[in-house]
Amino acid sequence: AAMAAAGAAAGGAAGAVAAPPRGIRAWLRSAFRFATDRNDFRRNLLVNLGLFAAGVWVARNLTDIDLMAPQPVP
Amino acid sequence: RAPRRAEPRGNPGSFDELHRLCKEVFPPQMEGVKLIVTKTLSSHFQVTHTVHMSTLGPSGYRFNATYVGDRQLGPTEVFPTLLGDMDSAGSLNAQALHLLGERLRAKAVFQTHQAKFVTWQFDGEYRGDDCTATLTLGNPDLLGGSVIVVAHFLQSVTARLVLGGELVYHRRPGEEGAILTLAGKYSAPNWVTTLNVGYGGAHASYYHRANEQVQVGVELEANTRLQETTFAFGYQLNLPRANVVFRGLLDSNWSVGGVLEKKLPPLPVTLALGAFLNHWRNRFHCGFSVTVG
Repeated sequence: AAMAAAGAAAGGAAGAVAAPPRGIRAWLRSAFRFATDRNDFRRNLLVNLGLFAAGVWVARNLTDIDLMAPQPVP
Repeated sequence: RAPRRAEPRGNPGSFDELHRLCKEVFPPQMEGVKLIVTKTLSSHFQVTHTVHMSTLGPSGYRFNATYVGDRQLGPTEVFPTLLGDMDSAGSLNAQALHLLGERLRAKAVFQTHQAKFVTWQFDGEYRGDDCTATLTLGNPDLLGGSVIVVAHFLQSVTARLVLGGELVYHRRPGEEGAILTLAGKYSAPNWVTTLNVGYGGAHASYYHRANEQVQVGVELEANTRLQETTFAFGYQLNLPRANVVFRGLLDSNWSVGGVLEKKLPPLPVTLALGAFLNHWRNRFHCGFSVTVG
């Protein structure tokens, strides 16, 4: 009976430890499905918002180029 | 301590031109071969002949005649302006712009598809010192009881910030509705950002002038009705010493494209070469045009 109780406690503790990984795994799975679902409007909006922010960063930081500058001499 | 002098708030311009700077950076779609010949007959009158040999649609010829009056308010604002454009199928696009007073402008637009009227539209615009108000009547039909009314208002809140909105009301027998869109624009010396947000979606644009040679535009559009969003990145390279302007485009529909324009002095000729490739749909089209005059 003691061993059964200890086994039950161990099973309960194992269940308590296994529940968060299962919860995280399910969350990761649904996040992956959301990120790869091309038909989801909110997902597309988030992706394009990120691209817009990246485009603004590129415009502000990488475009100060002098097109008529002479080529650098090696 | 001297008081800070407030910068004067100028007129914010018209609502339709909020995203103009960004849109002008993007290359125009080009396909087939186009020949455009413009002849200025006097300081008031100009005609344009356009022959387009298309690879995607029907080829055709267009004739355009433009008359401008004496009252010039800006480099592209001359009143009155009468414009008529007709194609070889008989479809007409006619516009008349007139200055009714110092601050009041009126515009009428008519479009026909062969013999049938498709669009008839009347605009009235008031331009104040720091605000613009516009009222548009689209396809008013008193007998059929249908109309589209569009009202715009823009206010320069500071020298750099413009806020405003658009109200679209449409009415048909048995149906009517209205959509409100709010707009804001912030202008800095080297960049401009604009945002329109409404029930139908949102449109954001960012324009950056890096230097005299490079300009960049970034655009985001979200349409809640069609459940679609698109992103586009465009850039413009100006090389006046080489008489070259290049515009490039990259967007979220997996399309890349570019248009190269080269002036050929001393001739009044401009040659344009363009190509667009959609990687996702595996479609490619290119074109070139020659503009004389």
